[in-house]
Amino acid sequence: MVSTRLIFITGKGGTGKSAVAAAIAIARARQGESVLAIDMATSPGLAAHLGSRPLTYQPTEMRDGLFAMTIDRAAALDEYLKMQLHVPRGAPTKQIAAALSVLAETAPGVREIISIGKPLHETWKGIWDSVVVDASSLGQFQSYMRAPQTIAQLVPTGVVRRQASDMDETLSDPKIASVIIVSNPAELPVIETLEAVDVLTTERLGPPPSVIMNRVIDTSGIDGSRLEELPEGPVREAASLQTHLEDDQAKWLDEIDFRISLPYLAGVFTPQGVSLQLSDVIGAVL
Amino acid sequence: MTTRTIIVTGAGGVGKTTISAALAATLAAAGHKTLVLTIDPAKRLADALGIDHLGDKPQPVEGTGNMWAAMLDVSASWEAIIYRYAEPEVGDRLLVNPYFRAIADRFPAAQSYAAGERMAEYIESHQYDFLVVDTPPSGGGIDFFTAPAHTGDLVSGKLLKWLTGSHIPGRSFLFRFTAKPMLKIADTVLGGPMLSDVADFLLDLSTMYTSLSARSRTIERYLQQATTLIATTADPTPIHETKRFFRELGGISIQPTGIIFNRALPLSWIDAAPKPIRGVADPDLRARARVNLAMWATEAQRQADASAELSSRYGAVMYQIGLISPAPTSIEDLRAMIEETNLLEELTEES
Repeated sequence: MVSTRLIFITGKGGTGKSAVAAAIAIARARQGESVLAIDMATSPGLAAHLGSRPLTYQPTEMRDGLFAMTIDRAAALDEYLKMQLHVPRGAPTKQIAAALSVLAETAPGVREIISIGKPLHETWKGIWDSVVVDASSLGQFQSYMRAPQTIAQLVPTGVVRRQASDMDETLSDPKIASVIIVSNPAELPVIETLEAVDVLTTERLGPPPSVIMNRVIDTSGIDGSRLEELPEGPVREAASLQTHLEDDQAKWLDEIDFRISLPYLAGVFTPQGVSLQLSDVIGAVL
Repeated sequence: MTTRTIIVTGAGGVGKTTISAALAATLAAAGHKTLVLTIDPAKRLADALGIDHLGDKPQPVEGTGNMWAAMLDVSASWEAIIYRYAEPEVGDRLLVNPYFRAIADRFPAAQSYAAGERMAEYIESHQYDFLVVDTPPSGGGIDFFTAPAHTGDLVSGKLLKWLTGSHIPGRSFLFRFTAKPMLKIADTVLGGPMLSDVADFLLDLSTMYTSLSARSRTIERYLQQATTLIATTADPTPIHETKRFFRELGGISIQPTGIIFNRALPLSWIDAAPKPIRGVADPDLRARARVNLAMWATEAQRQADASAELSSRYGAVMYQIGLISPAPTSIEDLRAMIEETNLLEELTEES
């Protein structure tokens, strides 16, 4: 019986998904969970937000209870063959690995299955309370989630096919898996988030996603119609910018349902500084 | 005419598409016939450009005189590339091959390669004084510059060579190849028969290698001749990506010309923040305005530090574009973004 929670964090580029993934991992570890954070994205975002050097395929302890790793495709392929496909004894493992590498670069779904196989494998081990995955951008994430079904269409029988069915089962089990889309209260992020929610829900790719709204500016309480009462120069300029941002933000917040709202952090310099502050907010909600 | 190319690159979400459109609108207003090649613009921007119904065939933008816009269509671009570089019957076979679709849609650099190919075609059409290229987001934007060099990975038959251990074989080789015992076993274990299909496909693809490689070198040359501007904001991730651009572009002989620091706040806010606010009767409004300015001043300070670090580290020219809310929606708004910089003078300076 698996009691590990598998949490995917995706979102449009620039919305802060790595920061939110790091913050969720830190918050859960602080509450005493044993957490594995996995970077599936190509950018080094997660490492920076955990305040670490580049991550390796081998999980490394970042702080109490929090380990982190990145997906190295060659290593993932090797492990997939050994641990997941259970290639029969005596079979030409090296050639099969070479063949699978070629397939992974060519056939739809194979590369994705190998990459997403790692978080699933870690979930099935049952040694973590949470596996937090910094998944790629929305489009890439959809192809990961689609991979088991793609494989099922492409491969009639065999271990790859069976493995894909097991993956699909775990990915669509709401007791285990969850999908979080990070968005910002602005036009492009909101529209792309709504489109992604629609695709994920319609195609039943994983459990219904929830949205975390990041970079929400605090309201200032300044009445936009009273700007004239403020002296010209920086005071009025800043108030004008703020009220315009508030108006625009309100419009986009109205368009979409979200579960958690995270603040815009003014004057924070480092990626780690951002994720630590966000983890306080998330910790209070969890 | 000779076309001068301006490439706008940078991390996702920093406003590349808007900046590209704004540059094009500004150049066009100054009398230069300018085409912007845009990628996935927000609806409001697309509306401003009248780009709703637009594919990769350049269309004039209404009310600008000299501005043209085109949007990248990856699928159409790949089709054009295939028919240009492959034998017709090979092209037909490739386009209906399920693996080809999968590769063209998913190959991370596919969009970048298609954008580079389009850029080259527009340059060679000799129709424009300026071409402004917005870059696709894959690989943090760096793919656009490295895609030509990586085209070989896609079509060189490197995979095929790896699989068969020989030079790129002819079609007749396939029969012997798929009969190999180890592939039989692999197919059985994996649930084939995928490998023979894949090999067949790779063979077709590899026939395009020579012509595509030559083309890639041409595109690389255009990239090196272009003016490259890196867009960023003060956020940690874009700053990190900007540093990466300088590191990696240097490695492929591309020297970024400048950094566009978008959503910048006025530095005057930093000094003004601690001063008392005079002449506001309502104490509540006064207090709120003060807290608000103080908050934005910390942002302005952070930006000033980030901007100073980038310019001292790379000696790059820094162009500041102010934070505008709501986002620009008209051609006039777009031009106003660039007016506060001296980009127009710099870009049109006779070299």
